[in-house]
Amino acid sequence: MKIYFQKKDFNLSKELNNFSKKNKKVGSIISFVGKVRPFNNNKKIESMEIDCYKKMALYQTEKIIDILISKGDIVDYQVIHRFGKLFPSENIILILVASKHRKEGFFFIEKLIEWFKSKITFWKKEFYLNSSTWLKSQK
Amino acid sequence: MKILYFARISEELGKNQELLIIKDKLKIIDVINILKSKDERYSLVFKKISNIKFAINCEYATKNDYITNNDELAIFPPVTGG
Repeated sequence: MKIYFQKKDFNLSKELNNFSKKNKKVGSIISFVGKVRPFNNNKKIESMEIDCYKKMALYQTEKIIDILISKGDIVDYQVIHRFGKLFPSENIILILVASKHRKEGFFFIEKLIEWFKSKITFWKKEFYLNSSTWLKSQK
Repeated sequence: MKILYFARISEELGKNQELLIIKDKLKIIDVINILKSKDERYSLVFKKISNIKFAINCEYATKNDYITNNDELAIFPPVTGG
């Protein structure tokens, strides 16, 4: 049960393998990876800058996770969200969740991503060839 | 109090934090008005606050919530993580 906010990239297969080995008795392990897309609004993305308020992000992430695991069906989770300078195709976020059944795992990921889009304090700025813009909230 | 700025707001103000000493307690909106009176840059950034979020000690707050010198006030645009 770990949450990391970091600049460095993560190794998806290594993280998934370690998580899977740690959780041998569950019925479901689900992974979600969010990546920097190459285009947005018909503009080619050259790079992305992610700002974060780490202390509040950690507090808000723990808050929603406490709610989500209180039902007792989530056995383990791991969250990594990157910040700093990123480039197209690079990883932004990894969520791993181990649960008794798949349904609770998908629900955990969906709800956590909703909070990253509405409450958890990260902000993305996209850089194009001759301009840049802070992304607008989808909520 | 410690005031933190993030993303577009930090960029437009040219700073990511500052200290402000107040008497007793104030509503966030009063703090914003003090900042706006400091110079033109604040006035521009806080001209329309309907799309600005506030947090006191990591909890989301509204412009009518009270804050003291012992608190940490964060001011930022709606989040776009994930």
